[in-house]
Amino acid sequence: MRWLINLWRTLTKPAQYLTLGTVSITAFVMGVIFWGGFNTALEATNTEEFCISCHSMKSNPYQELQQTVHWSNHSGVRATCPDCHVPHSWSRKIARKIEASSDVWGWMFQTVNTEEKFENKRLEMATREWARFERDDSLACKGCHDYKSMKWDSMSKLAQKQMKRAAEKDQSCVDCHKGIAHTLPDMGTARAPELIAEVGTGPSKFDNDTTYFSSLTKPIYLNEKTDVEAGTLNIATKVKVLETKGSRIKIALSGWRKQIGAGRVIYMDFGINMLLAQLEKFAAEEDGVIVGFEEKEDDMTGLKWQRVEVQAWTDADYLITEQQPLWDYARDTFRSSCSVCHSQPEEAHFDANTWPGMFQGMIAFVNMDQDTQALVQKYLQQHSSTFVKEKH
Amino acid sequence: MNRRDFLKGLLSTSYVVLSGTSVLAPLNALAKAGAKDKDGWLTTGSHFGAFKIKRKNGVIDQVKPFDTDKYPTDMINGIRGLVYNPSRVRYPMVRLDFLLKGHKSDTSKRGDFRFVRVTWDKALGLFKDSLDQIQTNYGPSALHAGQTGWRATGQLHSSTSHMQRAVGMHGNYVKKIGDYSTGAGQTILPYVLGSTEVYAQGTSWPLILENSDTIILWANDPYKNLQVGWNAETHEAYGYLAQLKEKVKAGKIRVISIDPVATKTQNYLGCENIYTNPQTDVPLMLAIAHELYTNDLYDKDFVKGYSLGFDRFVPYLMGTDDGIEKTPKWAEKITGVSESVIKELAKTMIGGRTQILMGWCIQRQQHGEQPYWMAAVLATMLGQIGLPGGGISYGHHYSSIGVPSSGAAAPGGFPRNLDEGKKPLFDNDDFKGASKVIPVARWIDAILEPGKTIDANGSKVTYPDIKMMVFSGNNPWNHHQDRNRMKQAFQKLECVVTVDINWTATCRFSDIVLPACTTLERNDIDIYGSYANRGLLAMQKMVEPLFESLSDFEIFTRFAALLGREKEYTRGMTETDWLKKLYDDCKAANEGKFAMPEFEQFWRDGYVHFGEGKTWTRHADFRKDPEINPLGTPSGLIEIFSRKIDRYNYDDCKGHPTWMEKLERSHGGPGSDKFPIWMQSCHPDKRLHSQMCESQEFRETYTVKGREPVYLNPSDAKERGIKDGDIVRVFNDRGQLLAGAVVSNNFPRGVIRIEEGAWYGPVGEDGSVEGGAKVGAICSYGDPNTLTQDIGSSKLAQACSAYTCLVNYEKFQGKIPNVSSFNGPMEVTT
Amino acid sequence: MSNSNIEMNNARNSVYQLLSSLFAKELNRAMLEELNGDNAQAFWAQLATQPEFEHYVKTIVDTLANLNTDDDLLELAADYCGLFLVGNKHSASPYASLYIGDKEPTIFGPQHQQMLTFLQEKQLQLHSDFSEPADHIAVILAYAGHLSLSADETHQLSYLKMNLANWLSNFVAQVKKTDQGVFYTAVAKLTLAWVNSEIEWLS
Repeated sequence: MRWLINLWRTLTKPAQYLTLGTVSITAFVMGVIFWGGFNTALEATNTEEFCISCHSMKSNPYQELQQTVHWSNHSGVRATCPDCHVPHSWSRKIARKIEASSDVWGWMFQTVNTEEKFENKRLEMATREWARFERDDSLACKGCHDYKSMKWDSMSKLAQKQMKRAAEKDQSCVDCHKGIAHTLPDMGTARAPELIAEVGTGPSKFDNDTTYFSSLTKPIYLNEKTDVEAGTLNIATKVKVLETKGSRIKIALSGWRKQIGAGRVIYMDFGINMLLAQLEKFAAEEDGVIVGFEEKEDDMTGLKWQRVEVQAWTDADYLITEQQPLWDYARDTFRSSCSVCHSQPEEAHFDANTWPGMFQGMIAFVNMDQDTQALVQKYLQQHSSTFVKEKH
Repeated sequence: MNRRDFLKGLLSTSYVVLSGTSVLAPLNALAKAGAKDKDGWLTTGSHFGAFKIKRKNGVIDQVKPFDTDKYPTDMINGIRGLVYNPSRVRYPMVRLDFLLKGHKSDTSKRGDFRFVRVTWDKALGLFKDSLDQIQTNYGPSALHAGQTGWRATGQLHSSTSHMQRAVGMHGNYVKKIGDYSTGAGQTILPYVLGSTEVYAQGTSWPLILENSDTIILWANDPYKNLQVGWNAETHEAYGYLAQLKEKVKAGKIRVISIDPVATKTQNYLGCENIYTNPQTDVPLMLAIAHELYTNDLYDKDFVKGYSLGFDRFVPYLMGTDDGIEKTPKWAEKITGVSESVIKELAKTMIGGRTQILMGWCIQRQQHGEQPYWMAAVLATMLGQIGLPGGGISYGHHYSSIGVPSSGAAAPGGFPRNLDEGKKPLFDNDDFKGASKVIPVARWIDAILEPGKTIDANGSKVTYPDIKMMVFSGNNPWNHHQDRNRMKQAFQKLECVVTVDINWTATCRFSDIVLPACTTLERNDIDIYGSYANRGLLAMQKMVEPLFESLSDFEIFTRFAALLGREKEYTRGMTETDWLKKLYDDCKAANEGKFAMPEFEQFWRDGYVHFGEGKTWTRHADFRKDPEINPLGTPSGLIEIFSRKIDRYNYDDCKGHPTWMEKLERSHGGPGSDKFPIWMQSCHPDKRLHSQMCESQEFRETYTVKGREPVYLNPSDAKERGIKDGDIVRVFNDRGQLLAGAVVSNNFPRGVIRIEEGAWYGPVGEDGSVEGGAKVGAICSYGDPNTLTQDIGSSKLAQACSAYTCLVNYEKFQGKIPNVSSFNGPMEVTT
Repeated sequence: MSNSNIEMNNARNSVYQLLSSLFAKELNRAMLEELNGDNAQAFWAQLATQPEFEHYVKTIVDTLANLNTDDDLLELAADYCGLFLVGNKHSASPYASLYIGDKEPTIFGPQHQQMLTFLQEKQLQLHSDFSEPADHIAVILAYAGHLSLSADETHQLSYLKMNLANWLSNFVAQVKKTDQGVFYTAVAKLTLAWVNSEIEWLS
């Protein structure tokens, strides 16, 4: 494969004097002309050998693959690079070839020629691949894994439930199954990877006036452009999407706040300490962000509460269409993590306002990241005696 | 007949011993090779710390503390005696009458009756049959498999997880809420500070050492209690205590121990002591609050910004609602602390950075919620909650809380619950109107008074009619109160099953006893340091399980097989698979943050180190922004007055901290005319609760004439004609015990100490073991819970109240009986 | 060694093995039938011809003859359990290590190691069904029987003195004190009488 690299080197020597577009097109045209007549040569770009001639050098995605079930398994079937990364329909394949010319650019300018550079770019590259998988209807996966031929009986109950739900919606496989062939990228803060693997990152497009639920604690903003964070949206919070602009969406949520401080903490309901969102002081004071309605005094604390509606912007990610998968994950985590030392209490043993105290008091003993902690606490509150009336 | 003829005559009978197969067999070369000891030191861990072991001929030979443990406890010396204990449960055993008559057996003799050895198959079969009968005849409310305790360390073999998963596969059962150690504290503090606090990580010791001017040890003896931990204990906190000792010596930090006795910590640090009468901490705290309030010394801004309900507490403090102003003078009479000392203490506490460190003992008393609540109010008035070296902690004596955590993820454990979607064999959830969960210390009440409804933490609990108990790695005949009441209750049970390593009193009061092996006879894995998460420790098997004992994993896998659910139980994985899984899951959780080698490497090394941690201040985030980081209380603020509790309308736990007289109180309190002595039954210095008491050689380092020590005030002892080393009878209307006198100036008049965890060994008046089964029998070794009362702390927590206990004592005059605690069941001589 | 000596030693070995088997585990139905069988009865009768054994043999034979039901066997098993399978001071633990030395040590101690060494020297080990320390009285007796066939008299004598006679009478006293029935007391006393007669004879 050395000849190909040499060819590219020769070919792209003057590239520094050309624009990126020119190089891409030239490269593509040259490629098609050069390989066009030779079927075998076209196929050559679809072989693993071709891929790893560049991609394996510093950053080891190829080595990572070799550690996974996609490389070595009972059945002896092996997924090679192009099986997943080259589209399976012809038109998309050609489109991908054009797209791939940027790889050459990257290679030329050594965008990812060190481990560190690769890791820094990993999320960006992976995100692009995930989006492509979704766009391609997960055909790359479905070539081998078909919903119809899955052995449902041999799956755990939980897996069955989740797979069936995904099958019904023909969900993109990588919504849940990320990091299965290469190391999972550092997802910004490497937050709750297991949770995200379970519930997904959500759709890439949002419908207006539709309800979604946050699958992580997310930053919120006052407009679609700013990088100044105006607060956080708590995990498993129900929001209504109002509009999409670029990579941001405008959301609305309704809840209650206590008349403490700036009144910038939004709770789910009157007198119930279930967190929906927290705003920075400047945001809470900004006109139109929090709209207040009627007030009531909470008899249990003597504090005044006010019903509010909040409108703000957030990134168009980690918002999922259903709340139940979050509760399923939380329930599982609670039951396994909180039973190592003692039987976990029944969810309905405490009320919604007691759970935070009980849960926070024991948290030192369990391994939960911040998001999972917040989720489990909310799960316990949501399933507490406040909402579930059951004798225990 | 000469011997030659006699022997010839024997031979002529042609008798050959056949069926009694010889205990000897030809040497099996392979077996011999396999038994060869591995070279070098093997690693394991325990509640007492991590340690290393060298073997000789397949037997544990030498034990030494783990390399990194700079402050090992001498309890390590008791490890051998724990494993090679003559009281080992050697075989599965069944009480004979139970074997013959099953659930119709004569339970009045439980505790002294005859056992027979049975096979594992037979024993587990009987166990399952009993469960079948209970579920069929009564349903799940008749089975209590929820009394669980300290177990041995190890995440895979954790005895309570195994027992509850296996029994849970069979059917549902009654469970507990809370624990004996911190029952009142963990119930009241969520209302007040928004977390149980007792098990929460606390402000790091380096910050305390750096910032505190004064440290108040309130009924707190960390130097004694930090020897043991929930997981393998690192003893790192001792390094900080050593630094504190230096600072005390140099006059840089003032440490004041508020305690009726001079504690081990006080003696170690050489710090000050303020003596209080037992059970009168609340009046002392109220008086300090009064002094702060009336002299306008308290932090008004903090009280206003971070707490609720001070205005509803002040009328009580000032006596405008009950006519009693809680002045230092008022407190002096109750507490025995002079007015001037109280005033001085208040000024000291507000005069600089003051860290209050509360112990757990004072919440194990009637109204045990109150001192914890009132201490939180005091800390709020001082206004230093959330500042390094200030505020209040309820856990710095426990499992090295306050040692900075590495932040690494600890390994999970073998699952306690059924797997997702699985149902028990007896899938019946009908508790017949009774509660499925009862407060931990109220189970004896339930057995004695089924159907009764009590108040508990804002709800009603209806006692189930319990007919069968299952215990594993748990010894309630140590930690529950009032033995004679327990005996009455146990006579009402149809079946009791206990799994343990040695013959505890709980085993003796059981019908089916199953031998578990010790931690040294199996492979396991544990976090090193419950809160420090300093590293991951391999618990390497040192010897094969002794006699016919089995690991918890093996015992309950066999039980699950009887239910036809073995594969489901183990998830098709062997012990080794599980170990590897727990390790690999932990490795994955630490990926990118803490480097961990492959499992095989880890197992060879025996340990992986996670490194040191960062310092941290409890409640600093709350202090920084109480709106964004609210406490877990209903209001999100410190609740000096709790409307929620107030609404419960309890007479024994009101809307704000309150001083209430006790049923029994020494130093002039109720009942002190008849029984003038207060008995303190704190956590032991030389054991973990009752664990290690049976280790004889080590026990003999502290016993007196083979008895548990009772620590006596010199003047009190002299009045009773008692010298150091005498056998003393301690008694009240609930029971009596024998203990060995240790006369010590550490103990004031009217106070004795017998540490809990002393194994129960009742004997009859004639000194016979069989007489010990009778209600009223004397404990021959000195178990303090022979004397304690079995009452709830209040309608709120319903926690145990072992510290509300008056007794008297005298020199024992009768014939001194043998100690009966450390042997198996005895036969009745009729 | 003459044939006559071999026969005599076989007879001695039989006594050791019989006593060992009675201490090794509870009596079951098969053992009972064997012990009540004609050959065994003759064996017992011959043993009883010696005045120092007579009383104990009679107790044993009478007890065996009256064990009619499974419940009777269970009662005897409970006697056995209370004596030998649980506890220490207040039962009669059958381990040499608990009687030798002034302090009560742990089990699997030096005597256990000592017996393991003896067994290995003779290419022997504990039977895999017998999950007990090697200083159990059943092992010490069985090994004495083995020595009666394979070692010289001086060796036998010193073995008995060093490993059995030095604690046996304390053990027997403990059995007598703790036994609820009469059977195991008789077996223990018979053992003591037998070992004493052996020592006298070997001396």
